[in-house]
Amino acid sequence: MTAGQGADLGAEDRAPELIPLNAIFATDFVQILVPVTTANTIAEVAEAVAHHVEGKRVRALPYPKMVIHNGRRLEPEITVAAAGIRPLDHVAVEYDIPSEGS
Amino acid sequence: MALLKREEWQGFVRDVDWSYSYVDDEAVFPEWHAGTGKVPREAWRTWEESYKVSYPEYVATQREKETAVYAVKAALQRSTAFETLNEGWKSATKMHFGGIALVEYAAVLGELKMARFGLNASWRNMATFGQLDELRHNAVTTLFGHELITKDPQYDWTQKAFHTNDWVTISLRNLFDNMMITSNVVDIALMLPLTFETGFTNLQFIGLAADALESGDVNFANMISSIQTDEARHSQQGGPTLEILVEHDPVRAQWVVDKAFWGSARAFAALTGPAMDYYTPLEHRKQSYREFMEEWIIDQFVHTIEGYGLKKPWYWDEFMRGLDIWHHGLHMGLWYWRPTLWWRPTAAVSKDERAWLAEKYPNWEKVYGDKWDVIIDNVNANNMEATLPETLPWLCATCHLPCCNASQSRGGAWRVRDCKLEYDNRTYHFCTNACRQIFWKDRDNVNHETLVDRFLAGQIQPMDVGGILGYMGMTPDVMGDDPDYEAWTKDYAGRPASGLANAGQS
Repeated sequence: MTAGQGADLGAEDRAPELIPLNAIFATDFVQILVPVTTANTIAEVAEAVAHHVEGKRVRALPYPKMVIHNGRRLEPEITVAAAGIRPLDHVAVEYDIPSEGS
Repeated sequence: MALLKREEWQGFVRDVDWSYSYVDDEAVFPEWHAGTGKVPREAWRTWEESYKVSYPEYVATQREKETAVYAVKAALQRSTAFETLNEGWKSATKMHFGGIALVEYAAVLGELKMARFGLNASWRNMATFGQLDELRHNAVTTLFGHELITKDPQYDWTQKAFHTNDWVTISLRNLFDNMMITSNVVDIALMLPLTFETGFTNLQFIGLAADALESGDVNFANMISSIQTDEARHSQQGGPTLEILVEHDPVRAQWVVDKAFWGSARAFAALTGPAMDYYTPLEHRKQSYREFMEEWIIDQFVHTIEGYGLKKPWYWDEFMRGLDIWHHGLHMGLWYWRPTLWWRPTAAVSKDERAWLAEKYPNWEKVYGDKWDVIIDNVNANNMEATLPETLPWLCATCHLPCCNASQSRGGAWRVRDCKLEYDNRTYHFCTNACRQIFWKDRDNVNHETLVDRFLAGQIQPMDVGGILGYMGMTPDVMGDDPDYEAWTKDYAGRPASGLANAGQS
C-alpha cells in the first residue's frame, strides 16, 4: 500500500489508530487515561474504562453500560472511528439503569 | 568620633540608587525582568518596607537563630523520640521535606531576582536578606531530612524529590517556577511574599509547629519555628509593591494575586489537606482542614486584599465549594496511586475516622463513602490487586493535579464533570473552571507538560506501570504503601460484600 492509497481510505478501513481518552466511570472520583483504538467498538470502550474502576472503586452493578460522548449516548456496536471520537476526547461511562416501572 | 545613631545612617544604606551615565534605565531594569508595566518608573520611589533591618542586625539575629536550632537538634540527636512517632505524622514530614526543601532553593532564585531587578533600592536591600533567608531554609530543611535517612530511606526524597519527574514534584515545580522564577519581579513580589508567604506559609508554619509538638516531634517543631521567624520579615516585600501596583494598574494587581492564591490553594489541598484530615491521628486533630483554611487563610487573605483595595477573586464561590471536595478527592488519589509517593499514606477511614469526617464535612459519606467501602471490601477480601492502579489519573493542564473534583447537579447527583478547552488544535482538560481560565489567560506562557502529556508523547518507556514508576525515579525501597491496612479495615471485616472486581471474590 502506498501513502497515496492510504489517504483515500475512510477512517474505518485504515489500520487501527491509538485514541487516548479522558474517561470517567459512573460515580468514580477521578478522570483517568484510557487508551483505545479507532477499531474498538463502543461496548469495548465501556469495558476498557470499567476495567480500571468497576469493582475497584465503584461497586459493580448488574446493568449494561453506556458511553456518553459530547452529550450524546453512543450505540454500543459502532466503532470509535464511526462515532467520531478523537484523541484526548472525554467520555463518560454510566450504567444503563432502567427507570422504575419500565 | 561618636558613632552615628541608627536613624541617622539607615536611610543611606537602604537606599543606594544612583544616576547612570553610561547606560539607560531600560538596560539596567529591562521590562521582562523588572515588569513595571503601566506603573511610571518614578512611582517606585515611594516603595518602603515597614520593618527595617541593617546588615549587622540581620547577621547577629540569624546567628542566634542558627545557634538555637542546632543546639536543640544536637540535644535530641541521641534520643529515641523518632521511633515513637506516629506513621501518619512521619508521612506528613516526608511530604514536607521532599515538597519544600528545593522549593526553598527556588525561592532563593526569586529573591535574587528581586535583589537585582527590584525597582527601588530598599526593595533590593530587603530581597538580599530574603535570599539569605531562603538559602538558610533550603539548608536547614535538607539537613534535618538528611539526618533521618538512616532511619527510613523515604527521607532521601528530601533532596531527591525535585530532581525527579514524580507527578507530585511536577505539579509543585510548575506552580513554583511560575511564582518564583519565570515571572518579572513585580509579579514575584505579589505571588511569593504577598500571597504565598503572607497568605499561606507564614500561618501554616505556625500550625505545623504546633502539630509537630502535639505529635512529639520536637526536632521538626524546632526547625519549622526557626524558619517561620524569617518569613515574617521578608514576606513584607509584597505589601509596598501591591500598594503601588494597585494605584497604577489595579486590573493586573487583581489578576496576579488571584492566580497565585488559586495555585497556592490547589497545592495546599493536595498536601496540607490530607495531612490534616487523614494522616494526623484522630486524637491529635484540633480542627479540620476546612476550619483551618477558614480561620487562618481565608479571613486573613480577604482582609489583606480588601485593605489594598482589591476584591475577592472571581472564582470565590468555586473555591469555597472546593473546601469540602478538593482535598478529599486528592487524598483518595494519593492513596490509590500510593506506589508513586515517597511517603506512606494511611487511608484513615475506620468507623471513628469516618464519623469525624462526616461531622466536619456533611457530604463526605455521599461523595466518598461508597468508593472507600469498595476499597475496604477489596482489602478485606485480600483482593489487593484491585486496590492498585493500572493507568494514570488524568492530570489538569494547569495545576497538574488529578481531575478529581466532584460537583453536585441540580438533581443532587455528585459527579466529576469534564472541564475542557479546545486550543491550538488540541484538547486540554482541567480540574476546575478557574484552572481552565488561568490556562487560557496565560496560554502564551511555557507550561510544563503533564505526566499524561509525556506518557502519550512516548517519553515514558516502557509504556506501563513499571515504566511510569521508573520515569518518576521511584524505587521499591521507598515506594509508598499504606502503613497499616488493618487499622482502618478491621471495623468492616466479615460484612457481606458484592460487586467487587474479579468474579468469585464477593
